[in-house]
Amino acid sequence: MSTVFDFNGASGSGWSQPDPTFPNPDAVPKSLRRKRLPGWPRASEPELVRHYTLLSQKTFGIDTGFYPLGSCTMKHNPRVNERIVQLPGIDRIHPLQDPSQVQGLLAIYYEMQEMLAICSGMDAVTLQPVAGAQGEFTAIRCIQEYHRSRGDDQRDKVIVPDSAHGTNPASASMCGYQIIEIPSASDGMLDIDALKAAVGDDTAAMMITNPSTMGLFEANIAEASQIVHEAGGQMYYDGANFNAIIGKTDPGRMGFDAVHYNLHKTFSQPHGGGGPGSGPIGVKDHLSEFLPTPIASRREPQEGELDSVGDGFYYFWQDVGDNSIGKVQQWNGNAGAVVRAWAFYRRYGRDLERMSEHAVLNSNYLRHKIMNPEPDVAAKINCMPSEGSETSLVMHEFTLSMSPVKEVNGVTGKDVAKRLLDYGYMSPTLYFPQIVPECLMIEPTETESKEVLDKFAADFHEVLSEDPEILTTAPHTTPVKRVDEVWAARNLILRHPDTGED
Amino acid sequence: MVDQIPNLGRESEMLAEIGLSSISDLFSNIPEGVRRDGPLPLPPPQSEEQILEDARRLLGANIDLDSRPSFLSAGLARNFVPTMVPMLATRGEFLTSYTPYQPEVSQGMLQAMWEFQTMVSELVGLPVSNVSMYDASTAAAEAITCAVRVKSKKATRPNSVFISDLVPPHRLSVIRNYTQGVGIELLILPHNDDGSLDMEAASSAAGSSAVYVEQPNALGILDEGLMGLKEAIGDLTALIVGVDAVSLGLVQPPGHWGADIVVGEGQPFGIGPTGGGPIYGIFACTKEFLRLMPGRIVGQSIDTEGETAYTLTLSTREQHIRRHRATSNICSNETLIALMGAMHMSLLGPEGLEKLATRISSSTYAAMEAVTNIPGIDLVNPGGSFFREFAIRLPGPAKDALSSIDAAGVLGGFDLGNWWEDMSDCLLIGCDEGTTESDISSLVNALGAWSGGIK
Repeated sequence: MSTVFDFNGASGSGWSQPDPTFPNPDAVPKSLRRKRLPGWPRASEPELVRHYTLLSQKTFGIDTGFYPLGSCTMKHNPRVNERIVQLPGIDRIHPLQDPSQVQGLLAIYYEMQEMLAICSGMDAVTLQPVAGAQGEFTAIRCIQEYHRSRGDDQRDKVIVPDSAHGTNPASASMCGYQIIEIPSASDGMLDIDALKAAVGDDTAAMMITNPSTMGLFEANIAEASQIVHEAGGQMYYDGANFNAIIGKTDPGRMGFDAVHYNLHKTFSQPHGGGGPGSGPIGVKDHLSEFLPTPIASRREPQEGELDSVGDGFYYFWQDVGDNSIGKVQQWNGNAGAVVRAWAFYRRYGRDLERMSEHAVLNSNYLRHKIMNPEPDVAAKINCMPSEGSETSLVMHEFTLSMSPVKEVNGVTGKDVAKRLLDYGYMSPTLYFPQIVPECLMIEPTETESKEVLDKFAADFHEVLSEDPEILTTAPHTTPVKRVDEVWAARNLILRHPDTGED
Repeated sequence: MVDQIPNLGRESEMLAEIGLSSISDLFSNIPEGVRRDGPLPLPPPQSEEQILEDARRLLGANIDLDSRPSFLSAGLARNFVPTMVPMLATRGEFLTSYTPYQPEVSQGMLQAMWEFQTMVSELVGLPVSNVSMYDASTAAAEAITCAVRVKSKKATRPNSVFISDLVPPHRLSVIRNYTQGVGIELLILPHNDDGSLDMEAASSAAGSSAVYVEQPNALGILDEGLMGLKEAIGDLTALIVGVDAVSLGLVQPPGHWGADIVVGEGQPFGIGPTGGGPIYGIFACTKEFLRLMPGRIVGQSIDTEGETAYTLTLSTREQHIRRHRATSNICSNETLIALMGAMHMSLLGPEGLEKLATRISSSTYAAMEAVTNIPGIDLVNPGGSFFREFAIRLPGPAKDALSSIDAAGVLGGFDLGNWWEDMSDCLLIGCDEGTTESDISSLVNALGAWSGGIK
């Protein structure tokens, strides 16, 4: 297969740039100088445009098909957002510019901080963390400093349910905490008795997602918060599933002290093949003095300060103060992602509630369609999956267990996932949460039409009706056949072995 | 009216099929005690036209770096990004894909990231690169925790890590947040008056788990002495070097003088300064660190028919498998920006990279010569070699100088008093490939008028 390193034109023949304005060949002394140039390709723009276009065509995105990847909220990314971040007022802005020069960006930061606080029931928000996992880490750091400030240093444990995202225990562990994992109850919900047994005067925090990764709303969440608080711990809300609840409830009402938001899930910052993300956090008042610094603030213009955006305020970076944990990203977070999320939020305004309603509607609708095939369809199906949880209603996502299918004809969750690729779908999230055997986790989001959901359910049934051999050898129509991940780990070819260096 | 929801107006039809009668039925599992009633206190929805108009008004109130002669760098570059880069990177297939967990339908992004790894590896002179970190600072912080994981088994001072005292405070703060919980003691390495690392002090770091230095350092100095640092600290101690990635078009890559891990800001390749993010951190290392390094890694493989294919590999290091024993919590990274970086690097090619670095180097020296000709303004570190930036000492507070040149329509440098109190009379002047003769004249005139005025 060809790679970019196959382009090996004449020396310096590629993309042209102006000559140095002030030639000074001896600026870098010989002893410091590079002996040979890196083995990069020598390519022209026409060659590279085709190379990357062809690569893009071997990449599946929301734009190419339904992407029911549970827990990842793969919703449509409005195109005007991409247009906005190309404006020089964000693309060509330096984070160290004087606040008087970036009033518009600060105003957007301020508006986003306020909006996120309102939607989550928190008192203060920082937009600095640049990914969900970094938001978790930041919030746990704030909680750690809160306990230290009270002389509560013995609190060295963080509680997570066994259905938690892997980032939760990993983030707490990076802060130096021991992890106490508590099992879920048989219905997939939080086990209150297990929580009671786990808390103590060594509990620093509990980290939990609600709705859970099972797609279930934790009915006992207020009680859980009370148990943790009575033990002196703090409640942390993983906002991965925030798309399900905006306007219907909020983490503040549930008793949480800190929350992270995924602007790349709920607020449609494009996932970009794995990033960038943006993971702001919100906290209650008692944690706000520990937030990373600075946060956007505003005041009536004082002498020499102009109201550049025309709303009667001067915006500035407010230093959080001596108790701040400092910085988690070197500047003020992923400003470009914040601006995209702002444009997304403006599209909904107070109707963000409609977004959550339709995310939950689509999820329940699709679950119903998959689990209740018409009799003529059902007759052809080899074996139906079981539901990951015995419940009549789910939130924005749901789980299916392929265990019955595996028992009947040896087809695994992975086989079904791979076969769905042949039908033009991205696979659901596979084998997570781990407490559901042979799990497929499906999140349709609010931006898919009824027709797409109907077709997906029909195609899913078709897959379940096929000869198992077709599934176990799938995919068949993709750019490559099933990829050998063990081979990759054994051979570890992590770069081009020979790029034709000079 | 909201316009992004295809099923608006079809709620009853869909609800009926599930056997429900209203939207609120869908949320009946939320206990009453935690329900929210009434609309969110937010403004009504806007149309695309209205949003774009507001975005233009708000962002138009910002002063962008290209609208004035600009000398503000301090770790980010006012770069020129080739037009091809954003146009291709925002193709929907790349833009709207997720982490490539299903390699069969993600070959394009996986191959592009494998090519990125190769180009970073070539650039810094080390065999292994990941797919990106959040930025230069988190890359440095996670390089340190990674080095301690690998080196603490044999190091004589396993929990000690030495850091150059010219690492800027915001980066040091990130490093402290990432290292405080895991028992790492950070010790500071001093510099000589000329801005070079105090090598005698540095050799006392031998036996610790790691040393972190930057080349060029925060004052723009290329320190030749660093090339002997690995010899001074020995094999028990990891040498971690933070770089200005573009400088490596001219300067010896740290992988060629003993660095074990190289990190740095990738932003100059691929994306504008974007208000500080999204940008991306480079992370490359020797094979010794491979199995305990952070971040996603793409490996070449084969499919069931023996054809070449690419896939994420060594995932057992990562949080979704290893949970609290993972080498990092990183999940979302900066893939799309790394893709933009790969496109930019491919367009430049080896000679283009050298030329880009030469342009920056030449404008740095031209600005330095012109500015230090102003009476009363001196180079803080005379006699050194510089890339992109240099520090000058002024005859008054840097803060005053900045307001004065701002009034004259010149943007930046950076008031070093924000980083180090004893440098409040120093400005960090940053140059780039776009710095023109007229930009430098504007800076010299503005600075000259200010410094002449205070005598």
